[in-house]
Amino acid sequence: MDTTVTSTSQSAIELYYKGLEEGKLKARRCKDCGEHTFPPTGCCAHCGGWSLDWVDLSGKGTLLFATHNISPACHPRFEPIAPYVYGHICLDEGIIVQAIVQGVKATPEDLNQLFQRGQTPVEADILRMDDLPVLAFRIIR
Amino acid sequence: MRNRLKEEIVISGVGCSRFGDLLETPGLKGLSLQEVTANAVREALDDAGLSGQDLDAVYVGNAMVHSSQLPGTYSQLSKWIGAELKSGVHFDAQCSTTNVGAALAAMSIASGVYDTVLVVGFETTRTKVKGFSPYEREALQHKETWLWTDMAVNQAYGVPQGYDIFSTYNGLVALGYCRKYGLSIEDYDKGMFELCRTRRLHGSMNPKANIQQTMEDKASELGFSSSYEMWQSDEVNPFVAWPSRLMSLVTIADGASAMVLTRADIARANKSQPVQLKGFGISYRDLPWYDEDPTLWDFDRRSATQAMEMADIKATDINYLHTHDCSHISGICTAEMIGYLPSGKGLAAARDGELRYDGKRPMSTHGGRHAFGHAWAASAGSDTYEAVLQMRGMAGKRQIPKRPEISVIHTHGYAMIGTTIVLGGV
Repeated sequence: MDTTVTSTSQSAIELYYKGLEEGKLKARRCKDCGEHTFPPTGCCAHCGGWSLDWVDLSGKGTLLFATHNISPACHPRFEPIAPYVYGHICLDEGIIVQAIVQGVKATPEDLNQLFQRGQTPVEADILRMDDLPVLAFRIIR
Repeated sequence: MRNRLKEEIVISGVGCSRFGDLLETPGLKGLSLQEVTANAVREALDDAGLSGQDLDAVYVGNAMVHSSQLPGTYSQLSKWIGAELKSGVHFDAQCSTTNVGAALAAMSIASGVYDTVLVVGFETTRTKVKGFSPYEREALQHKETWLWTDMAVNQAYGVPQGYDIFSTYNGLVALGYCRKYGLSIEDYDKGMFELCRTRRLHGSMNPKANIQQTMEDKASELGFSSSYEMWQSDEVNPFVAWPSRLMSLVTIADGASAMVLTRADIARANKSQPVQLKGFGISYRDLPWYDEDPTLWDFDRRSATQAMEMADIKATDINYLHTHDCSHISGICTAEMIGYLPSGKGLAAARDGELRYDGKRPMSTHGGRHAFGHAWAASAGSDTYEAVLQMRGMAGKRQIPKRPEISVIHTHGYAMIGTTIVLGGV
């Protein structure tokens, strides 16, 4: 039983958003099973291990599906951009994320066109809201 | 996990308020939240032939304390339901609350500690306390409802970065379903229309439903030539998460539900018609709720498998099913996963009338989350209430012609706790 008090005082949540400010996608990789936990926590989401490294993800992936949301947005932070497009994305590292997709209009016509096109390559394109950098993606043309 | 109950547990009494709005809905208007909840409890206790003093414990759930402003409900409600000096706890599993409560109660009784437990759920998603008034309420703004509700969803990364329920729960699942089964967007839209039409038909036959108007009557009232024309109207039924429309979603409500659980041998001596709680399963997951395939939710599969194994039933044994239909397409995916409907055929079943109360595969005969309405912590109890009425043959105009012998109820607690219970053996 480890009864020591750790000296680390910076939250993984804060480190993640600070990373986004620098255009980096901060993740954890488990020293026991090698799997990624993203967004980061202090525990491996796959095996429950507590020994983790910090790694940066590539920010590249595949957009599997894209829909839109309502306006006004459910959260006040996103009122200025609602309605926006929201996507289901598989990162190159095999991690599933859901995030705002920029550069696509939130109309049935544009979303249908995207659906008919099928899986589409995307890359991270951080969205800077007034109070927080937010993970978002953009289609690679 | 041994996954079995050591004793036969029954639901010996059920109660449910009308779902609606405490400011305007007949049956709710003018009452306090304490009284609405106490009325649901009274119905359940009367049904079981008990009083509050016959209980050993009271498990009370409420998800959105921001609008109810009633934490510590075990004591705050105790004088309203005659159950002071009992054991009690305030808990929540969000929109699975009351059925998770049933599972907790069953385990408490089967362990040999308690004989009889009351489970209560109540919620106000349409109204909130006005100022500091002990009895006045005011309308809750749509944005407040979702901001507070979404506090049950990943607050580190999901909600702060643009998550909302409509995209994740509806639009993405719909697109995954269409892709997986080769369904066109047009056919998907027609299927959703038929499903909503069925839900509203059921609501029109249920005096406790929030919406009691059929699609046809609504279309006529608004001057449309057909209900499908109304369905396709961007003004009345806009896309909220393309290709999902507004009427494929939840209708928020205020309401309360309650149930009494006890040992089967005790219930047999009472006046009520007990229904056995044969099995339950609970499994949760944080965002994202699904992997590459948006139609496949592993925590739901686990909860259903656990419940059906505990109850020792197969999918072909199920006579009545409710799946959580906050999102109609998600509810269809769950019904297909359970095996009640063939994979990829759920919308065709809706089109063919199979999901109606008088169809081959009846579902959500109270009207579901769209027509009956959704009062978060009270809703799972309303689903159980409906299943018990159906199994007793007491569902009135919407009674399934052949009383169900096995009913399965699945609910999603935000975000997400998949909960499945199996009822049988009246």
